[in-house]
Amino acid sequence: MSTALQLLQVALPTLYVLAAALHGAAVTGHATHSAQLRRVILTATLGAHATWFVLLGWQQGQSPITGLWPTVSAVVFSAVGFWILVAREERHVGSGGVVLSVAAVFQLLASGFGPIEPDARAAQSTLSLVHVLTSVVAAAGLTVSGLHGALWLLMYRELRLHRFGAVFGHLPDLETCARMMRRAALFGFLGLTIGLNVGIALAHQKGDLRVDYGNPEVLGSLLVWLYFGAIAFSARIPGFGSRRAAIAACAGLVALALSLLLVFSPIPFHRSL
Amino acid sequence: MQHGHTLVLVGMSHRVASVGVRERYVVASNDLPANLTALRSIEGVHEACILSTCNRTEAMVATDRPELVAATIRSHLFRNAAEQETYSWSGAQALFHVFRVAAGLDSLVVGESEVLGQLKRAGDAARECGAMGPLLEALITRALHVGKRVRSETELGLGTLSVARVGIEVAGRALGEFRTKRALVIGAGETGVLVARHLRDLGIGRLVFANRTLERAQTAAEEFRAAGIATECCGLDELRTRITQADLVVTCVEGQSAVVEAAHFERRAVQRRDLPLVVLDLSVPRAVAPSVTDIDRNVLLYDLDHLSRVVAENLRDRSSAADSATSILVHEAHEFLGKRAYQQLAPMVGTLRQDFETVRNETLDAVAGAEASAREVQLAHELSKKLLHITLERLKDSTKRLRPEEALEHEYRRFLESL
Repeated sequence: MSTALQLLQVALPTLYVLAAALHGAAVTGHATHSAQLRRVILTATLGAHATWFVLLGWQQGQSPITGLWPTVSAVVFSAVGFWILVAREERHVGSGGVVLSVAAVFQLLASGFGPIEPDARAAQSTLSLVHVLTSVVAAAGLTVSGLHGALWLLMYRELRLHRFGAVFGHLPDLETCARMMRRAALFGFLGLTIGLNVGIALAHQKGDLRVDYGNPEVLGSLLVWLYFGAIAFSARIPGFGSRRAAIAACAGLVALALSLLLVFSPIPFHRSL
Repeated sequence: MQHGHTLVLVGMSHRVASVGVRERYVVASNDLPANLTALRSIEGVHEACILSTCNRTEAMVATDRPELVAATIRSHLFRNAAEQETYSWSGAQALFHVFRVAAGLDSLVVGESEVLGQLKRAGDAARECGAMGPLLEALITRALHVGKRVRSETELGLGTLSVARVGIEVAGRALGEFRTKRALVIGAGETGVLVARHLRDLGIGRLVFANRTLERAQTAAEEFRAAGIATECCGLDELRTRITQADLVVTCVEGQSAVVEAAHFERRAVQRRDLPLVVLDLSVPRAVAPSVTDIDRNVLLYDLDHLSRVVAENLRDRSSAADSATSILVHEAHEFLGKRAYQQLAPMVGTLRQDFETVRNETLDAVAGAEASAREVQLAHELSKKLLHITLERLKDSTKRLRPEEALEHEYRRFLESL
């Protein structure tokens, strides 16, 4: 079991790199492989990742998403899943190379630093599990949204500077990028909405009826929730156009990373549920 | 004497000058007669034709003083332009250039077919002014034939390429699907209609034609209404309102001053847009003031110089097709020059024909005299006709051999290297 886990832990970043390379080559016009091979590799990568989580949970006898690095790995897995969903809906895989490259980098970190031993603070109850899973789903949605925001700004820059190279030719157009960004933000927003409510319910269950809104974790989560809500519905907010939403999504991605660090920080000011 | 004229071409194109320079030297259709008359008045110029499009302004003349007229034409058409912003070719090189222009090989978008119509109209205008002659008539006719041949026999003809189409593709990278978009086309002329057709093919949601004369806009709009596209028309006085409502603004107008200025944009409306407002300026001289980009970052402006960067990619893709056009161009130039050389021998051919008839009649008189039968006369006539035909064919071959096709191809390659 341990050997299989270790093998998968090493193989996952490699598989993500391979999937990113195949998607990157396809959009830059240097591909000699078929679209089917890309799909097979991506499915195999997600399959291997899911297997790794199952084996990890089995070995630990509890939810495998405990601590910073397994959570990062779960966000990577969910983000790629989200990307597949939005890309399929938009029928555009042009952002695949970028999304999968970022996924590969974070999975490399998660595989490199991630402990296999269970976290002492691991969530045990069903509500805790739902809270963690929805939060991971939210983080993944927000990550995909932020990445598409970055791609929007990159494409916009190329258009504004009249550069008509590879970025111009192969990334999704501004409208598609904006739709993918908003759709992913909406997924994230919904996940975060459920996660926050479950968190509040958990606080009640623990007898701590008053949720401390001054707690950085709670306050940060609420702010991220409002922030991505605004991005998800930016098309309906006058004056909050795609460019501003893209800037906000990018900034949100940074805020999300900081928020994750805050949640898993060893500094004792946070109060994990 | 007219068969001894040399073709001289002086011009300025996107290859050597930016749109900012080119727009100063555009010859508007109204000014063509005056300019053609001025060219004809240059000493040594016998025929003249001016081709002025958004990509180029070129004067083609038939002259017996090729070494002198180029400088005069340059100072007339391209006053104050830097030497490197113009070019001049004569003889076979001018011929190669005209054929390349007709084939779309010298166009901003390689292979575009608009230039064929523009060349034809340039010939018509020169003919109306009485500036055309045998050399330019033959040249334009042959160039149009070459243009059609290259497009039908090589891959250059694949797809309907034009600057308008490239511009719309660029707009598509910003706007995404056109189904839900509103396009404002300023100018209901040929390019405006071409732009609208591309937009129709991409399923544009709503189309607005703005033109100085509303009647022309309405005429242009009919085609698109018939295709089921919501099409509206307006005059230029409504530009401010129409630009505010539009997602894409395309200008294709002829004029000396900017039609669209910063004052036509409502800053607050531009700032509140979800996607940027794309403005394509396909006019030469430019019809959109460059200051419109200062209104807000949500305005993306593209003129022909910007679009030429997209075309650089197109050029790479089509270089192999352009290579395959070489043999057609060289062959046609060889045929044209051979025919021209033969035409220069016209006085000699006339004398030869006269001599054959004289010899035939003298021989007939000497052999049969007044008692020559009808069969003998017929025999003499047939014999002299056949001998004359053989002689003229040999003459024709020898004129072609004066400049073999291989040598011409070599000359063409050198011409390409000098571009």
